Amino acid sequence: MKKINELIMPDDLRYAEDHEWARLEGDRVRVGLDDYAQDQLGDIVFVELPQVGDTLKKGGEFATVESVKAVVECYIPVTGEITDVNKELEDAPELVNQSPYGDGWFVELNPSDASEMETLMTSTECVEKLKGAE
Amino acid sequence: MTPLTKKKWRCIELPQTGYRTAWKLQTDLVAARNDKGVETDIVLLLEHPPVFTLGRRGGLENLTVAEDILKDRGIPIVQVERGGNITFHGPGQLVIYPIVDLKSARLGVVDYVEMLEEVVIRVAADWGITSDRNPLNRGVWVGNRKLASVGVAVRRGISFHGVALNVNLSIEPFTWINPCGLKGIGVTSLEMELGSSVPIDPVRKAVKRHLGEVFEVELVMTKIEEFRNCRFKVS
Repeated sequence: MKKINELIMPDDLRYAEDHEWARLEGDRVRVGLDDYAQDQLGDIVFVELPQVGDTLKKGGEFATVESVKAVVECYIPVTGEITDVNKELEDAPELVNQSPYGDGWFVELNPSDASEMETLMTSTECVEKLKGAE
Repeated sequence: MTPLTKKKWRCIELPQTGYRTAWKLQTDLVAARNDKGVETDIVLLLEHPPVFTLGRRGGLENLTVAEDILKDRGIPIVQVERGGNITFHGPGQLVIYPIVDLKSARLGVVDYVEMLEEVVIRVAADWGITSDRNPLNRGVWVGNRKLASVGVAVRRGISFHGVALNVNLSIEPFTWINPCGLKGIGVTSLEMELGSSVPIDPVRKAVKRHLGEVFEVELVMTKIEEFRNCRFKVS
C-alpha cells in the first residue's frame, strides 16, 4: 500500500470523510473515489452507480464498490441531482484504480447548493488528517 | 507499541440461526455501532441451516443443478450485498461475522480480509493442517481445495458479513455449484483433511483464541439479550 507521501491528492479537488472527491466544473460537480481509497481497496472488480435523475442528499449512499471480496458503500459529498454516470466503469472497473481522478470518475451532479463544497476538506486538510491517523 | 489494556470485542455465540435472521441482526448491529448505541466491536459465531447465498454480482449462473432440486430439499437461495459469488452455508460450518469499526481500528479493507484469513490459517494449524491464501481467489485453501470463504461488506466504515469455515459439514451441496464462481475447484473441511472426526466446539474455542491474537483484542463473552435491552432495537 502507498505511503502517505506517495498519495496523489490534487489541490483542485475537495475531499469527504470517506475519501470521495468532488470537483466543481462550471455549474456541475464531478465525484469519484480518491487515491487513498482506491489504494486501500485494492483491485476493484465491480462498481454500482446510481441512475441519472436520482436526487441524493449529502452523505447518502450513491455507489458501491467491490474489491477483493469486500463490498464498500460510497457516500455522495454534496447534495444534488445526478446528471451523468461513468458507464465505462461497468466494463472497466479497474479504471478506478488506474485513474481515480480522470477516467475513473463515478458521477456528475447538479449541486443544490454549490457552497456545500466549502464544507469538504482541502487536499492539505485531507493529507493532514491521514497523517494524524498514522 | 502494545497497548497496556487490550481493546475489547463482544463475542456473541448463537445457536443455529437462519440466514435472514442473522443478516438482520448484523445490519441492526452495524446501525447501532454507527450511531454509537453500541460502542464496542462485536463478533458473532454461529452456524446456519442449509442455504445458498449469492453475492452482489449474482452467481445464479454458477448453480449447476436445477433450482427445483433445491426447492425439493427446502434449501433457499438468498441474495446478499457481500462481495463474492455463490456459496453454501450449512450445519457443520462455523460462520464468523465481525462487526468492526474499521475506521477507528485504522484498518484498510485488504488488511482486514487478510487478518480474517489469518485467523482461519492458525485454526487449521492447530489441527495440524497446513492451509494458505491462493491468488486464484480470496479465502483459505488447502492446496486447490477451499477450506474457508471470505465475503465482507463495509457500511459507513463498519464491517459485516465475514468468513465461513468448513468444519465437518457435508460438502455435497458444493457439488451443485461452481463455488465462488470458479470452475474445477474443490471444497474441503477440517474433518476431510484430517480424516477423522472434528467436533465444532473446540474449533469455536480456537477461533476465539486466534481472533483475539490476530486482532490484538480481548473477547468478552456476551449474551445477545444484553443488546436487546439497549436503546436500539435488535429484533
